[in-house]
Amino acid sequence: MARMKFLCDVERCIDCNGCVIACKEGNNVPVGVNRRRVITINEGRPGERSVSISCMHCSDAPCIAVCPVKAIYQREDGIVLVNKDICIGCGYCFMACPFGAPQFPSGQVFGARGAMDKCTFCAGGPAETFSEKERKLYGQNRIAEGKPPLCAAMCSTKALLAGDADVISDIFRKRAFQRGSGAGAWGWDKAYGGK
Amino acid sequence: MTNSLNDIRHSKLVFMIGSNAAEAHPVAMQHVLYAKEVNNAPIIVVDPRFTKLAAKATDYVRIRPGTDTAFVMGLINQIVSNDWYDKDFVRARVAGFPEMCKVASHYTPDVVEDITGIPASEVVRIAKLMATHRPGTVVWCMGGTQHSIGSSNTRAFCILQLVLGNMGKSGGGTNIFRGHDNVQGATDMCVLSHSLPGYYGIKDGSWKHWCRVWDVDYEWIKSRFHSKEYMNKKGFTLARWYEGVNQDDKINQYTPIKALIQWGCAGNSNSMLHRVKKAMDKLELVVIVDPFAPAMCTWGEKDNVYLLPCSSQYETSGSLTSTSRQFQWRFKVVDPIYESKDDYEIMAELVKRLGFADKFYKNIKKVPEDITREICKGTLTIGYNGALPERIKKHTLNWHTFDIDTLQAKGGPCDGEYYGLPWPCWTETHPGTPILYDISKPVAKGGLPFRARFGTKITYYDGRTEDLLAAKGVANPGSQVKGGYPEFKDIVPGTNWKTDLSQKTIKEAIKRGMAPFGNARARCVVWTFPDQVPVHREPVHSPRPDLIAKYPTYNDKPDQYRVYTRFKSEQNPDLVKKFPFVIITGRMVEHMGGGAETRSNKYLSELQPHVYAEINERTANNLGIRNGQMVWIESPEGGRAKVMAKVTDRVDEHTIFLPYHFAGQFEGKSLVDRYPEGMAPYAVGEPANIVTNYGYDIITQIQATKDGLCNVKPA
Repeated sequence: MARMKFLCDVERCIDCNGCVIACKEGNNVPVGVNRRRVITINEGRPGERSVSISCMHCSDAPCIAVCPVKAIYQREDGIVLVNKDICIGCGYCFMACPFGAPQFPSGQVFGARGAMDKCTFCAGGPAETFSEKERKLYGQNRIAEGKPPLCAAMCSTKALLAGDADVISDIFRKRAFQRGSGAGAWGWDKAYGGK
Repeated sequence: MTNSLNDIRHSKLVFMIGSNAAEAHPVAMQHVLYAKEVNNAPIIVVDPRFTKLAAKATDYVRIRPGTDTAFVMGLINQIVSNDWYDKDFVRARVAGFPEMCKVASHYTPDVVEDITGIPASEVVRIAKLMATHRPGTVVWCMGGTQHSIGSSNTRAFCILQLVLGNMGKSGGGTNIFRGHDNVQGATDMCVLSHSLPGYYGIKDGSWKHWCRVWDVDYEWIKSRFHSKEYMNKKGFTLARWYEGVNQDDKINQYTPIKALIQWGCAGNSNSMLHRVKKAMDKLELVVIVDPFAPAMCTWGEKDNVYLLPCSSQYETSGSLTSTSRQFQWRFKVVDPIYESKDDYEIMAELVKRLGFADKFYKNIKKVPEDITREICKGTLTIGYNGALPERIKKHTLNWHTFDIDTLQAKGGPCDGEYYGLPWPCWTETHPGTPILYDISKPVAKGGLPFRARFGTKITYYDGRTEDLLAAKGVANPGSQVKGGYPEFKDIVPGTNWKTDLSQKTIKEAIKRGMAPFGNARARCVVWTFPDQVPVHREPVHSPRPDLIAKYPTYNDKPDQYRVYTRFKSEQNPDLVKKFPFVIITGRMVEHMGGGAETRSNKYLSELQPHVYAEINERTANNLGIRNGQMVWIESPEGGRAKVMAKVTDRVDEHTIFLPYHFAGQFEGKSLVDRYPEGMAPYAVGEPANIVTNYGYDIITQIQATKDGLCNVKPA
């Protein structure tokens, strides 16, 4: 079975935040909860790079390992989801996650919080597929509709890729190959003329 | 835009000057990045600011604001003097070349370094890059145009492409990215004060042409004007309309302006807003048509403002013209919500009350199709005539049958046509013109020579006479005349290709394999402009007193679009002492134009809640300003804005940058309570244009918001 992954091509990401807005509008995410965000380093200097980050749906996801109530689980296709009916809002997953993905709708770092919210890969949640409960708690279920996550679908430069790991790594490999060719091989055009 | 966004995929080099496409045109960036990736094209970004676009450049060139012409003439000088120019192209298709070269020879690398701040070695290196990577495209936006010498800047960019031989070629061209989806359409309709739709001008012949199209009596139209003089006199521009009210500069009109209708236009994009605000109170009537309550409805102290809520683009339908000159049909998604009406309905109600609906709607029974049809009938100059509503819809509905690289349909109902029938689309069977001035294709298949617009012969200021038509042997394949030829006329007696409403003239030209508008040379010398060849002139408010002496601005223009416009009398070498920083404005990717819509979106407001001034770290430390602190920006015109300091390396130590999308606060005072109930945007702040300066382009009168002066101090 296909393994779902995200890949953000930093050579292409222009920090337009289109992915963030697509995610929020499409899934009706409350203000203050960031399932996805764009991080920029070296802003305003040569070497400035931006990368769009959300839950990466890790293999051996640390959030699953630390969850004391087994609210977080991984689907066969690799997508990591949370069951909001079970989550107690303890925040362990937030501490364990290397990407800062888990979000909490209310409260501070210590004290009472609501159920954890994070990127669902636009695959809804454990509630019945396409049900009102699923839409309200988790957002759209585009995967069940055969569509890619909104963020990647709306990416203006196709920097953010989402889908079957084999397919997206092929796309990226092709880009990397092209970047290393052409005018980089100085003089080939003149010397060999394609022969 | 001579080529298309997609065509940038064929560029071997992308030269972007005065454009921050990564923020202003994020979707266009996929083609730029494709050229970078697949063609290994150098991406040269010339900007005073290290923008998000600069972050994607291979070569970033920091330039002093307002010195684009000096830099580009310097590049041209290198290309010509090193013999890197396209000799065949220049010989066959360019006019005024020796005159231009003589002017360019002044701009040696050292002179360019002194004016622009770009190291002399960089001038040589960039010129060589451009010469060795052809075809390259040149892209610019408002950073190129919003200067007192904006029209010289844009001409210099065009001349650069002519000497490189990059015009009329896939991967080349001059490509000016438009900021909204229908800006090209609005431009083509000449929503301007000096021309009727289709660039026909406002002479008697132009009025008579459109009266024939509208099927109304010319005498009746004439009777609507104060006097015949005003029918042919250029009106006030968007940049300076408020002078028609305030009269701080002398106006040339029989009456001051008494009423204003601002329709889908953000008031906070005008420079010197404190003067706009003053005009609001002097007007008898202000009508604002907008889907969101815009900034302007909060400025007046008088009860003279009417706000008409119109629908958004998703609640109406019609044709538009994109930046790539492509037509597209916009289908309605939902009906207008609340009490809003679409633009057509608002216009219809207005026309009915003004009492000439019978004449206005003579050709229009079905809205909006018949409107498009009327536009097509009259706009022959740029070949709108072939893009009828049925064809536009067919393209939009079958967009998936077109190739992303060539824009041509492969099979399907639009087989062989180019997506959106890019104008000129000369006949009802013409495929559209994907690349302007491409002489390698027959005209009937989308090829085109340069237009014979300016006569057939010219004697220049140096006494040399030149034939303006293209050289012998140079014409599109299949042309009956193998060489230059003038425009077509008198096929139908008394008319020419652009006034013959039967379109027989255009069809005849196409049949002969020729362009209706002739086959001429592109000119480097414009004999009607004050600078016949582009030269550097210091900004009206310049930070370099020494260069004002060397490169002074123009003489004042007593009647520029009905108002006295100061140039020389405004240029003061001492101004920089009190206002030591250059102020530039621009866009954020999260907000759009005046921001009425985007600042009313909670998610976009969450991402960009504040207006800020970008200040270099060194400058901030010298002024005792910390990141996040509030500061006052003060303009020489008396306007001041209280904004947050953003300490960053994006700008150099002489420059201050402000995004211009904000409103809701004015010179430190909140105006939030002045919005109609529930209409205040989530993100409010000072409009940057309170502190933009006086200064206008010598030809177009576009405001010089990209090279003013200001002062900064902690608040």
